[in-house]
Amino acid sequence: MGRVTRGDEAAFTELVARYGGRLLGVARRLLGSRADAEDAVQRALLQCYLGAGTYRAEWAVSTWLYRILTNVCVDELRRRKSRSGELEPPARPDPPDAHLDLRRALGGVPTEARVLLALRYVDGLSYGELARIRGISINTVKSQLQRGKSLLKSALVKGGAA
Amino acid sequence: MKKDSVDDMLARYFAPDVDAGDLARQVLEAARESARQSSRLLDKISIQATPRGVSLIRVERLEKPASAVARRLVERAREELSEYFGGKRAFFSVPVDLTEVPDFQKKVLAAARDIPFGEVRPYAWVAQRIGHPRAVRAVGTALGRNPVPFIVPCHRVLQTGGGLGGYFFGTDVKRRLLSLERTTPIYEGCTSTRIVCRVGCAHGRYMRPDNRVVFASVDDARSIGYRPCKVCKPQAA
Repeated sequence: MGRVTRGDEAAFTELVARYGGRLLGVARRLLGSRADAEDAVQRALLQCYLGAGTYRAEWAVSTWLYRILTNVCVDELRRRKSRSGELEPPARPDPPDAHLDLRRALGGVPTEARVLLALRYVDGLSYGELARIRGISINTVKSQLQRGKSLLKSALVKGGAA
Repeated sequence: MKKDSVDDMLARYFAPDVDAGDLARQVLEAARESARQSSRLLDKISIQATPRGVSLIRVERLEKPASAVARRLVERAREELSEYFGGKRAFFSVPVDLTEVPDFQKKVLAAARDIPFGEVRPYAWVAQRIGHPRAVRAVGTALGRNPVPFIVPCHRVLQTGGGLGGYFFGTDVKRRLLSLERTTPIYEGCTSTRIVCRVGCAHGRYMRPDNRVVFASVDDARSIGYRPCKVCKPQAA
C-alpha cells in the first residue's frame, strides 16, 4: 500500500487485481447491474488512487477500499431515488436470473442495512470492520443486519420464495 | 446472529465476481485526464460583486469591486467555485445580486435555482414553472444571458429530448458540469462526530478525508445514529 501512496502504477494494478473482483461483487449487488457496478468501482478506485495519501496505516486495505466504494454506491442510490421519488431500477440492468426474488426483496431493504448485508456476505467482513467502514457502533451494525434480514425474510415469504 | 436459510441465499447471491478485467488501466487513464482538466475553468473566469451579492461571472476581465464587502464576496465566490469544480461542494451559500436583471429573467433564474443539485430539467419545465408555458424560446434566451452562471445553475436546463441545448461557456463545459454533479455527493457524515452535513458545509472543511462517509438521505444517516448539522441543515436541502 505504501507504494500506491507514492503513485506506483504497478502497485496499484496489483491492488486492483487483488480486490477488484470483490469490489465489483459488492457494487453489482448494491446497484443491480454489472455495467453500473463497473462505473462505480472505476470511480471509487480513481478516488483511491488520487487520495492514497488519506489511507490510515492501522486499517486493513480492504476496509479503506470498501469505505470509498460504499460512499460512491450510496450516492448513486441517492441519485436514482431523487430522480423518481422512489428507488429506480439500474440504468443498464442485468438479464433476469435465478436471484430475481432476492434482488426484488433487497430493493425493499433500507440503504444502510443493504450496504451492510452486501459487505457482510460478499467478503464475510466482521462486525468490527463493518462498523469502521460506515463509522457506526458494532451494536448498530448488528441491529441493522438483523433488521435487514428480517425485512428480507418477510418480503421473501410474501413472494413465496422462502 | 443465528444462521438460517436466508443466510444461505444471501451467501450464494453475494458470491464475488472474479474477473475485474482491465479496470486498473481504465482508472490510471482517468487519473491522468482528471489531472489535465482540474481547475482550468476557474483560472479563466472573472467575478464581479456588489455589496449585496455576486452580480457577474464572465470569461473576460471585469472591473474590481469598489467596496471591501464586495471584494470579500468575490473571494468567497471564488473559493466556493473552486470547491464546486473540485467535487467538494454541492450548494452555494454566497448571495447573488440580480437587482439589475429584468423581471421575466429574474423569474427564469429563480426557477433554475429550484432544480436540485445533480438533476436536470427541460426548458419547457422552466417555462411551465414561471407561468408562461409557451415562452420556451424566451426562457432559453433568458438562461443564455444568466449573469451568474454556475451559482444560478442554468447548466441544469436541457432540451426536452435530452439534448444539451446551448451554454455560455460552450456545451463541452455544460457536459462536464453535469458529469461533475453526477459524481459529487450531497450528504456526508463525519465518523468521529456522527454529524451529517451537506457537502460544502463549513464544518466539512475540518473533517479528515478518512472520516468521511456518504449518505443517500438524512433519514438514512439518522437510522444509524448520525444527527443533522445545525449550521447547514441538510434536512432542508
